[in-house]
Amino acid sequence: MSTLATLDIDGRTARLTLNRPDARNALSIDLLQALHARVDELANQDGVSVLVLTGAGKCFCAGMDLKAVLNDPDAPTTLLRLLADVAIKIRALPMAVIARVNGAAIGGGCGLTCVCDFCVTHADAKMGFPEVDLGLCPAVVAPWLVHKIGAGRARAILLRGGVMSGRQAHDAGIASHLADSLEQLDETVDELSSSLAAGGPGALGATKSLLNRLDGSLDRDIARHAADLSARILASDEAQRALRARFGTD
Amino acid sequence: MIRVDTLDNGRVTALVLNRPDRRNALTPEGLSRLADAARAAADTSRALVLAGEGRVFCAGFDLTLCRESPDGAVMRELLRALSHVVRTLRNLPIPVVAAAHGAAIAGGCALLGGADIVVTDMHAKLGYPVLPLGVSPAVSAPFLMPAVGSGPARELMLNPALITGSDAYEMGLAHELVQEPGDVAARAQQIASELADKPAVGLAATKRLLNRLDRTDSDEIAREALDVSLALTGGDEERRLLPAGWARRST
Repeated sequence: MSTLATLDIDGRTARLTLNRPDARNALSIDLLQALHARVDELANQDGVSVLVLTGAGKCFCAGMDLKAVLNDPDAPTTLLRLLADVAIKIRALPMAVIARVNGAAIGGGCGLTCVCDFCVTHADAKMGFPEVDLGLCPAVVAPWLVHKIGAGRARAILLRGGVMSGRQAHDAGIASHLADSLEQLDETVDELSSSLAAGGPGALGATKSLLNRLDGSLDRDIARHAADLSARILASDEAQRALRARFGTD
Repeated sequence: MIRVDTLDNGRVTALVLNRPDRRNALTPEGLSRLADAARAAADTSRALVLAGEGRVFCAGFDLTLCRESPDGAVMRELLRALSHVVRTLRNLPIPVVAAAHGAAIAGGCALLGGADIVVTDMHAKLGYPVLPLGVSPAVSAPFLMPAVGSGPARELMLNPALITGSDAYEMGLAHELVQEPGDVAARAQQIASELADKPAVGLAATKRLLNRLDRTDSDEIAREALDVSLALTGGDEERRLLPAGWARRST
């Protein structure tokens, strides 16, 4: 079993960890496949009310593993569809899902935090969507940011690119909870997690399911369309040039 | 009526409503020129700024034009031209930054629906005080509702009271807030220049997807909203209430 994503269950709380710390937990095809497998396990798990999604090491997730897809024309579509599909799977889980943003959550990584019901970050965590700065299109994460903070604010953030602090992400509505420092992150996560675990899991699951229906967030067609658009732009000359310049390979 | 300024070595075009003695009140011809100029700018520039000359961005339709048109013909032209220009701005492949200084009222506030990013000042006046004139702001709803969400959109469109620039920022109608009205245009130009620096293909694709997600690319929805506003023109209610509008604005 791949250890690129690990699952630990402790009573009513589970923890799902992106576990590729040497690559800042960048989303590779292998990691996303491991994530799919762990989320499938969770979906069949009774008695879990709260899931905490986090990253091993210093980062939450640095985004898509773009270096790995630079020279393989089919890889972008595979990678982006895996992300789009796992996002819907996580959203459809019956338990409350908390993103524990232990460090940088960039691009696809920041998108994953928006898929979660709650996002706990700390003041200095680096977050954001710098895709357009690299000639990329953040399509695959756009629907999730729109659901999270509304279409108007999502538009301003995605078109302007760049990164922000955890505090700014909290002000923007991307993070629901803010710890003043990394040291205080777990206290905030634990408090939220115990409060959520106190509720009835049946009522929680039913409420979440209705919310997903109301905001249309399980729409596979739009998720696929968005993933393919991101893949197409990733394969464009403009983006490939920008990426080669960034990774210093010609 | 519309001034075209080329900025930042041609990478940014500013379209400036240029009728300061009438608080940049909108006419059908002005709106139509604005749409044409916006399309032309998309061929030559990488970002667009929409601004107003003088003390305010735009006070809305020039209602004095409606005085000679009790059957509502001029109001219909204004509404159609407004809908057209907002859709044109929204569907441009380049980003649009609005510099809403001083006041963006009624049709002026509706223009902000075409922008991707709105800059205003803390004490600016914004809103849709048109229901008391027997006019429906429905034409703006498909653009305003995704910008601020359903609850605030209801509040803004049904309550004729104006809000401040600070309120607009809190609500999400504006995305950048500056202290002084005189600083709005410079801030908008700065944001436009930053956007003009970004690779164009990815930016255009992102904007297109956002338009699809919030359904502001839908001709059908825009048309339905326009029809709601058009249906009231020339009716008894509008004939009775509209004269208050030109009385107020012909000063």
